[in-house]
Amino acid sequence: MSKNKIEPFLLDVQKPSRYTGGEVGEIIKNKSKIDVRFAFCFPDIYDIGMSHLGMKILYSLTNQYENYWCERVFAPWVDMENIMRREHILLYALESGDPVKDFDFIGFTLQYEMSYTNILNMLDLAGVPVLQKDRGEQLAPLVIAGGPCACNPEPLADFFDLFILGEGEEVNLELLDLYKNMKDSGATRSEFLKKACQIEGIYVPSLYEVNYHEDGTVKEILPHENAPKIIKKRIIKNLNQCYYPEQIVIPFIEPIHDRISIEVLRGCIRGCRFCQAGFLYRPFREKSAELICQQGIALCKNSGYDELSLSSLSTSDHSQMEKILDNLLEYTEQEHVNLSLPSLRIDNFSKSVLEKITKIRKSGLTFAPEAGAQRLRNVINKNITEEEIFNTCQIAFAGGYTTVKLYFMMGLPTETDEDITGIAELAQKIVNLFYDMPERSKGKLQVSISTATFVPKPFTPFEFEPQATKEEILRKQKILKKAIKSKKIKISTHVSEVSQMEAVLARGDRRLCAVIYDAWKSGCHMDSWDEFFDAQKWHEAFRKNNLSPEFYANRTRNYDEIMPWSHLDYFISRKFLIHENQKAHQEQITKSCREYCAGCGANQSLGRACF
Amino acid sequence: MKDYRIVFEKKNNMKYISHLDLNRCMLRAVRRSGLPAWYTEGFHPHLYLMFPLALSLGIESICEVMDLRLTKEIPEQEILEKLNSALPNGLHAICVREPDKQTQDITSAEYSLELYAPEILDLHACWLEFFNQPEILTQKRTKKGMREINIKSCIQVEKISMKDNRLNLMLRLPAGNDGNINIGIVIDAFKNYAGKPILINYLCRTKIFCRNYEEFL
Ligand code: SF4
Repeated sequence: MSKNKIEPFLLDVQKPSRYTGGEVGEIIKNKSKIDVRFAFCFPDIYDIGMSHLGMKILYSLTNQYENYWCERVFAPWVDMENIMRREHILLYALESGDPVKDFDFIGFTLQYEMSYTNILNMLDLAGVPVLQKDRGEQLAPLVIAGGPCACNPEPLADFFDLFILGEGEEVNLELLDLYKNMKDSGATRSEFLKKACQIEGIYVPSLYEVNYHEDGTVKEILPHENAPKIIKKRIIKNLNQCYYPEQIVIPFIEPIHDRISIEVLRGCIRGCRFCQAGFLYRPFREKSAELICQQGIALCKNSGYDELSLSSLSTSDHSQMEKILDNLLEYTEQEHVNLSLPSLRIDNFSKSVLEKITKIRKSGLTFAPEAGAQRLRNVINKNITEEEIFNTCQIAFAGGYTTVKLYFMMGLPTETDEDITGIAELAQKIVNLFYDMPERSKGKLQVSISTATFVPKPFTPFEFEPQATKEEILRKQKILKKAIKSKKIKISTHVSEVSQMEAVLARGDRRLCAVIYDAWKSGCHMDSWDEFFDAQKWHEAFRKNNLSPEFYANRTRNYDEIMPWSHLDYFISRKFLIHENQKAHQEQITKSCREYCAGCGANQSLGRACF
Repeated sequence: MKDYRIVFEKKNNMKYISHLDLNRCMLRAVRRSGLPAWYTEGFHPHLYLMFPLALSLGIESICEVMDLRLTKEIPEQEILEKLNSALPNGLHAICVREPDKQTQDITSAEYSLELYAPEILDLHACWLEFFNQPEILTQKRTKKGMREINIKSCIQVEKISMKDNRLNLMLRLPAGNDGNINIGIVIDAFKNYAGKPILINYLCRTKIFCRNYEEFL
């Protein structure tokens, strides 16, 4: 047991309970009765991973089955990593304390691109060969991954045995069942992979050959060994029949989101053109109001949490939102539970809903207009008007709110300098609105602007678009700072070098495996932490492999270019993406799915119309 | 409403839970237990829990104290059962007491520890040398930064013995509002003096005292 070996060092590291397990809700099983052991790895530290809803769902789901045992693994923080390397302690799973390398499956969730080097690092800490080809013919451990970034897993193709596309609730179990049967019959790794690739939603990268044109773009993607030409993502058709945990693991230390999350819907009806999640998770599916309340109340009771959050891409798009709030508030008020709604949109923020929310939380009001000017908001299809923002602010200010947070992106397609100064103008108008209101509260107003660099992502209408260069972003940040006149407005900006690497990895091809490998070898990890991200080392890794980040980040793709992910089908047709891209350049909006079906293709996954 | 003083153990891996985390953990445990907890009034009502004496990371304890307010009187046995069914392994409520003594009256705490030094032949002798110095100087973190203090008069040795090369000590140190000496700084001072690695096999808070040597519990 690796966990025992760590004990003498636990007082030498920060937050030692990251490494002990033993939390309430943790699932311990008798090893001798287990057929398949699954190490669910989150490629970042405990504090972040323990907030992740998908992990909670799949952890509990797998453990529903007597003969399967799913355990949790996180990346150790650097203090602990140093000790583990020095003392030769292998990465272990928190529940059993057993080394991850002895598991049947090592499953990673791919939530953000900048966690990729952590995956290599964790495999290395586990004593598992980082490259798939070095793992030999022995069946276990199989290194697999799922999650949103699996929609373009090509930069990770060399490291994984297989990827799971789409939602995992059904396909994960199919995979475990197949594994169990084949393990009993003594199958080899490649025999297993050849069978696994026939399961819908399973992509085995080693069964595909990718060839490139001289200019570096993809020429063809060839399946071998009868692997399917096109791999379709999996979805759960009916959320009301889908498993949801009744208890979760409750961490001792405070994770970034310390609360119960109830998923209220999947997908999004909005079609914001920059938003990958909005397309990846289509089609839109709601969970019933009754089930949401029932699950939320059960989880609060079983966990003792005093905060419940309704989670989804756009919670207020649930058709029964008022009913849900009414029912939940009845329980939460009585039981002293805080209800929070992290992803509210303002355009359908009715007065009665707002009143309910005002009851819930007085702290802050958050808007994501994403672009400062209406013109640009039309380009990105973010259908919020200034008027709607001001209306909501007015109601909110009257209700006592004094802080407004505004989120914007920089470097959007077609963006001009006027669009940038528009950000400052919008913030200023909110400030003016506040001070023009006689019934405003006495508190001091603060409007904070936060800008992030736009990262073009696969399966969005902007997948063809170049990312703005770092110089361009810095120039725009200066313009914005200059345009802000009021002391009530605070601004924070994002480091654009990380965004460039994110853009590279998001739309990268298989040749990037070598770059990631070299970057990691030269010491890159924890890249999503500013203090660790080392652009120099990344650039070196590119040079070493004769590749340029600009080719991936800053290049415009033709509409007919074969993308590295062209063999993966997320039910969003290329035709639709091209059409949306053209409409963006013509500054034309597309209505929400509820008003009008734009024909993206996601309904095929349901076998019926979405609405 | 009624106040209860819960005495609980904090053992094994729970010694790695900080005081703040323990507080959150207990809040949730009380909520899960189904006990009729009393909440403060106001816009953000919260459950009333109070820990008179914090315990540093890395120390076990058999005498931790938590004051809990319930909306009505509940039999002690029921409180224990409900609470224990909600607590993680390593935290265990032992008994319920009347909160008769004031937490301000706490003056000292007793610790039991076992030390082992692979490179020191006679750890007992080494301790005596250390302890018989005219002054035991060590660094203590204060509001004004690190400060050197003499802790000699603070340490009271209640028992000392050697067994199988292991040094067993029972120490009493000041605790509470009027001054607190963390057992950790005593061990560190000893380690410094010895100049060789000293391992802690066991370290546990065993008793809490008020003025006049009266036990707090
Ligand atoms: S098929 Fe139509 S309604 Fe369904 S997600 Fe696509 S655009 Fe929206």
